[in-house]
Amino acid sequence: MPAEPLLSVRGLAKRFGGLLAVAGVDFDVARGEVFGVIGPNGAGKTTLFGCLVGALRPTAGEVRFAGEAIVGRPCHAIARRGLVRTHQIVRPFRDMTVEENVAIGAHFGRGAHRGASAARAVRAVLERTGLAARAGALAGTLTIGELKRLEIARALATEPAALCLDEVMGGLNPGEIAGAVALIRAIREGGVTVLMIEHHVHAVAAVSDRIMVLNFGRKIAEGAPAAVLSDPAVVEAYLGSEAPVEAA
Amino acid sequence: MSRLGAAAAAAAALAALGAPLLLGRGTLNDLWNLAFAVILASSWNILGGFAGQVSLGYSAFLGIGAYTTVLLSLRGLDPFATLVPGALLAAAFSVVVGLPGFRLRGPYFTIATIGVGEAVRVAASSVSFTGGSSGVRMPAGSFDFGRNYLAMVGLAIAAVAVAALVRRSAFGRALAAIRQDVDGAEALGVDSTRYKLAAHALSAALVALAGGLYAINFQYIAPGAVFDFRLSLSIVLMPIVGGIGTIVGPLLGALVVSTIQLKLLELPALRDSYLFIYGGLLIVVILFEPKGLVGLAGRLLAALRRASAPPRTAGAG
Repeated sequence: MPAEPLLSVRGLAKRFGGLLAVAGVDFDVARGEVFGVIGPNGAGKTTLFGCLVGALRPTAGEVRFAGEAIVGRPCHAIARRGLVRTHQIVRPFRDMTVEENVAIGAHFGRGAHRGASAARAVRAVLERTGLAARAGALAGTLTIGELKRLEIARALATEPAALCLDEVMGGLNPGEIAGAVALIRAIREGGVTVLMIEHHVHAVAAVSDRIMVLNFGRKIAEGAPAAVLSDPAVVEAYLGSEAPVEAA
Repeated sequence: MSRLGAAAAAAAALAALGAPLLLGRGTLNDLWNLAFAVILASSWNILGGFAGQVSLGYSAFLGIGAYTTVLLSLRGLDPFATLVPGALLAAAFSVVVGLPGFRLRGPYFTIATIGVGEAVRVAASSVSFTGGSSGVRMPAGSFDFGRNYLAMVGLAIAAVAVAALVRRSAFGRALAAIRQDVDGAEALGVDSTRYKLAAHALSAALVALAGGLYAINFQYIAPGAVFDFRLSLSIVLMPIVGGIGTIVGPLLGALVVSTIQLKLLELPALRDSYLFIYGGLLIVVILFEPKGLVGLAGRLLAALRRASAPPRTAGAG
């Protein structure tokens, strides 16, 4: 079945008390695709990722990953199957070195490397993410740009089939953003399917095959980047219906 | 641990094992007590220090080891052969407690462990096969200090070695990740519950082995002695005073706390002031040096290095 999507989401919903953060979202992501997820603040993007990787338990809906229903499975089991996310607010193990941080992913992710093979895997990921020179530094001493890359490096070291990147470009300068775009392209070329939440709309449009737009927990558009970004519903969600376009 | 540290540790271990050839019974008794304390502190540190899961219920495992030894010895087993079943029972109990317990986080887990420790003490006092609150005595002829000394010192060496090996292994890295950010660890594939349970079981088994040797040496145990909350408290105090999460810390802490227990609390005037002394020690460490004696030594070394630096550098700095 070559046509079966790697990730298939149906009717996914997450309620926090009175707030329906994700209100029944359907989408598919094909193997090898870069799938962008955009939307205004509070649209439910991070909650959606949390539900996909098992950090949050969805209130309703179905998630199939690599042909298997994964809702209700623990986060570590989903990570080991190859669906891993990075965190928008970086959360390194601060008392560990960069290398040790990445080794956690290499040891306990889908690759399950031990000993020399773990060391090789860690080294390769550090090279790819440009952190090799900082391998021995304590994670607590890194700059924000380096921390964002460490977040990606740890996730990559798990050898995911699909990587969910949550605002890895947030807080980066234009030069670093260009580097992040190149890194995401390289990750996809390495055979990893990428889902990415991003506020830098131009950067997402540049790397994504398709984009999905969320607003108040609902999908309001999905498709090729250019078509989605010119969709009136999307423009309205971003700018507000009454705001004159000049004000942006 | 550095190569120098490892060499020093090996020398100390050999000296402790050879001590019966040279030293008198009083000193050997003190060393036995120190070895006992080292096992408790180093084992607790595997879960409490490495994985950051602070349990105040470790007397339960000590008591399970002690009771298993006495009760099986009374049924005719060789006392030393009862140690392994005691350790396995304690490990199994640690899993039973850990499965619900590890769903709790931080202080809630700690509070739950106090409850478990007390529940075990009450249970041991109420049922008849344990001899109730009056305790049980080992069968006659089971006392052998020389053998017990070697076993206790050997076990202490093994406990420290196990802790050092765990710390360097992938298992130890998983525990460190769990301590620093359990959700972050889960996100990278670490089965946090499984590793917490494994650390709990390993440390419970080591503590139960020490409990069995304790029972053989004292010949008589009662719930008030081996399931005592004060015991759980001092088990926690040792690694914290010495340096939580390190290998050397629990050794130093065991030395300090067992000295306090043996020398200071033997004085009639101080016998009832253990809570005051333990509490004070805990406050001093947490306020002034959360990394314990190991952290203090690190600071002193750094200060010495600064003081002995060439004056040119010192002036420029």
